[in-house]
Amino acid sequence: MEADMLVRDYLGRLEAAAWPLAADRRRELVAEVREHIESALAEAKERDEVTTRNVLERLGAPEEIVAAEVEGEPSARFAPPGQVSIERAPAWGFSEIAAIGLLTVGAVFLPIVGPLIGLVFVWASAQWTTPQKAVASVVVAGVLLLPILFLFGASVGAGPF
Amino acid sequence: MDASIIGIVAILAIPLAGILAAIYLVSRLGRGQ
Repeated sequence: MEADMLVRDYLGRLEAAAWPLAADRRRELVAEVREHIESALAEAKERDEVTTRNVLERLGAPEEIVAAEVEGEPSARFAPPGQVSIERAPAWGFSEIAAIGLLTVGAVFLPIVGPLIGLVFVWASAQWTTPQKAVASVVVAGVLLLPILFLFGASVGAGPF
Repeated sequence: MDASIIGIVAILAIPLAGILAAIYLVSRLGRGQ
């Protein structure tokens, strides 16, 4: 069926254009768009080639949808009518500013304590995933351990032999 | 090992730890949950 082929082709182009997105988000985006196309076609009560082309044209080019997504502005245009699109929380909140501030400037003014408090804010933030928080913690702990390792090396080097 | 080298490493490591973590977190900001 020509209409189904058009939809498949469109979703294929969308998936290909969405390569900069994380695999999870890419799948989610394709599913969202597919759902929107289906609901628009159901609403139109027609599933012929012309109706499908109109629906796809209204959505815009797949590359434009991906570009909007990459810019962090999920396009509201494919939100089903009457449904409020989910807005993302702004990336920079108090926790994020405090975390980055304490990890950088805080490390100079409050050595050791500053970055550690910064990590508390990192873990309190909802903007980073648990693995990302864990990586940041390991980086801080690992680099802070360097002087201790040097001290250990120095004490071994200064031993009786 | 010379104590002054250990001191320099310690002084550099503390801000470096935070800055490296901050660069990583800023690069990931908004791509998380």
